[in-house]
Amino acid sequence: MSLLEVKGLRRDYGALRAVDDVTFSLEAGGILGFIGPNGAGKSTTLRILATLDVPTAGEVLLEGRSLVDAPDKARPLLGYMPDRYGTYDDVTVREFLDFFARAYGLKGVQRRQRVDSVMEFTGLGPLSGKLTTELSKGMRQRVALGRTLLHDPRLLLLDEPADGLDPRARIELRELLRALADQGKAVIISSHILTELAEICDSCVIIEQGRLLAQGRVEDLLRASGDASQVTELVVRLAAGAEGELMGARAERTLLEQPHVKDVTREGSALRVRLELEPGAGPMEAEAAAAVLLAALVAQGLPVCAFTPRERNLEDAFMTVTKGRVA
Amino acid sequence: MSTQASPASGASESVPVTAAGASDRWERWGDRLNPLVVKEVRQGLRTRIFWVSFGLLLFACLVLSLVAYADTQGASYSREGRTYFFSFFVCLGVVHFGVIPFNAYRSLAREREDETWVLLLLTGLGPRRILRGKVASFLVQAALYASAVGPFLLFSYFLNGIDLPTILVVLLLGGVWMVFLTLASVCAATLADGRMGRAAVRFALVGVLAVTFFQALTFVFIITQGRGTGFTFDQTFLLGVGVGLWLMLTDGWLLFEASVARLSLMTENYTRHPRRALVVQVLLTFTGTVAVWWYLDFHKDVADVAGIFGTMHLIGTGLFTMSDVDGQARPLRAGTRPWSLFKPGALRGFRLTVLLLLGWALGCSVLLAMSGEATLDWVRNWSRMGMAFTAMALYGVLFLSLALLLGRMPASDRFASPVSVRLLFVALTTLASGLPPLVAVFLGLESGDPLLNLLNPLVGTVNFGRYDYDEPYGTRMTPELLLCVALVTLLAAFAADRVLAERERRAHAS
Repeated sequence: MSLLEVKGLRRDYGALRAVDDVTFSLEAGGILGFIGPNGAGKSTTLRILATLDVPTAGEVLLEGRSLVDAPDKARPLLGYMPDRYGTYDDVTVREFLDFFARAYGLKGVQRRQRVDSVMEFTGLGPLSGKLTTELSKGMRQRVALGRTLLHDPRLLLLDEPADGLDPRARIELRELLRALADQGKAVIISSHILTELAEICDSCVIIEQGRLLAQGRVEDLLRASGDASQVTELVVRLAAGAEGELMGARAERTLLEQPHVKDVTREGSALRVRLELEPGAGPMEAEAAAAVLLAALVAQGLPVCAFTPRERNLEDAFMTVTKGRVA
Repeated sequence: MSTQASPASGASESVPVTAAGASDRWERWGDRLNPLVVKEVRQGLRTRIFWVSFGLLLFACLVLSLVAYADTQGASYSREGRTYFFSFFVCLGVVHFGVIPFNAYRSLAREREDETWVLLLLTGLGPRRILRGKVASFLVQAALYASAVGPFLLFSYFLNGIDLPTILVVLLLGGVWMVFLTLASVCAATLADGRMGRAAVRFALVGVLAVTFFQALTFVFIITQGRGTGFTFDQTFLLGVGVGLWLMLTDGWLLFEASVARLSLMTENYTRHPRRALVVQVLLTFTGTVAVWWYLDFHKDVADVAGIFGTMHLIGTGLFTMSDVDGQARPLRAGTRPWSLFKPGALRGFRLTVLLLLGWALGCSVLLAMSGEATLDWVRNWSRMGMAFTAMALYGVLFLSLALLLGRMPASDRFASPVSVRLLFVALTTLASGLPPLVAVFLGLESGDPLLNLLNPLVGTVNFGRYDYDEPYGTRMTPELLLCVALVTLLAAFAADRVLAERERRAHAS
């Protein structure tokens, strides 16, 4: 049985349908990316899962129990981190965590131990006496994550957790989330930073205008969107030399004369080539077309030092699946 | 952690162990406290505004006491106590009637703006405990301020000119007024969600606090300065103080329950407590009215005052009760019966409002009927005031129904929101009060013409309460006209009820 099951979720605000028939599930220890353009219904879905909103129709089961009918029973199992940090002024890191630990009903030694263990896990120990307002964004994000973990929830709902973080803080957050998943917690992350999601998530859900467009494991999504698009990209790099500019122009001309080449763009010493294949063409046909190009370049005596197909990423899948509409 | 010294430990270790024991006791005691109190007091004592207010308050009181000392040093007998008591009270009033309520408002408003409110809700604390903690923490801060001014207030007593009962009455009323203002400010923080709405509420609150600050000080000035110069704590004064205290306490409770309801999640039975508080308030107030009426030898003025002000109060509260959203969350629907009037939903709120309004009018009319002896004058008075109460309640129901019909009957939901329905009510009553007299003047009739103003909530009520000895009943309006108003009201209320029932059915079906 899945830890979380979302079935036919719908949320209407008057005439506006913010979420429309969304269905997915998540196992314990899994990390699910929730992707969609602004206004797609991501935050609304997360708020429903966090018991802060009620669906117009549909069902959400957490450990087999309806979260809609018994939100009080579901809340101890949930950890929700909204897109804002939610920290207080004039409160130190320890006081902040201690306050929420009290609010979760932890008492005495148990509370102190829990706060200590959360601070250790999130690396906030050295900052325990600092005011939360004096912390960097990354550290405040850790405080917020620490707050989410205080009551040891089974399911974490993180709304745009990497938004506004510098690369180091993002990598550290990623490691923390991976560690949480390894502990058996299920994590749902909504984010715009798709490259981040691809590295963290096991599976993804793509929604637009409140409707679920695609879902599944990240690799499956990439493969599916790649098959659908019939467009393959290659990156050709020429050896840098005195005649680099001239060579580049020749290579561009040569490539454009070849079959299936849709366009060629120059990026420094590299050329980005887009191939458009016939409908129904598979990876074999794409490789054959690439081989033809390489042969043509070598035949022209061009100094090709790199010839690599550009791998599709989550961004490509997202762009292929969505159309940029807003609900 | 051990709280006992081990046998091997020497005397030098006994101190830390005792300290640890005391610390454990503190911690156990702290665990019993509302977490919000701990957090807010901790946070509040770190803010600049607290220390600036506290410092200025102490400084002002110190300067005033030095002035008082210099002023009374040479005099053989001084009676300046009342002046200095009032001066110290003004210093305390700035903080208690201004800083504390506004800070309470700001604290909750910020909690909502920064979305830390939802994080608190998810902890399982619940809006009731959270708000209780917030209010309690501000009362703790108020107590800290009061502790600074307390010795100075006592000092003013020793300057003569003010007696202990006056000091106690002023402090009691001031304390209850401060609690009421804090609760009202907390409730104000729950009123608006949008930026514009919040700005408007903030602006209005500052205005209200400023006005009520001066009103409160004027009242205290009259009491402190008037005592000994003709002003006594007579029966009327004590009755007035009693009514004031009762209203502050019960309306404070109502405001608190309303705030809790507004901050609760849709899935909770959020209307149960405020509606119950309203019904309890109405029942207890009516019981109190009967008691006062009996104590004052069945004086008819008691029924008159209760009838008019009670109905106005119920129209005000009804405006919020009946403009709730349509329907209720799925988990609450199962046990809902037609008489479950405390459960969420505009339909049940509307029905409760109608029942309370008509019940109150009936109760006060019965009270009025039992006042005095059955003479012709008594019959005239009873019929005119009884009709005025009933008309007022009927107008209330009529315009509440019309606001609901206009807001919620159209297919589009443009004016269906609670705020829109309330604004529609205000617009409708304003129009209905202002337009008929203008039309009457335009047609060359008397502005208060009974027929043209039959559905005018203001002039109509006044007309129903007027004597006219040329008429057979001795009143300006006849019972037949009241029946007309009742029929129109019945029609409007029935239509509003059906519209709300249909909307609830649709909300539950989707």
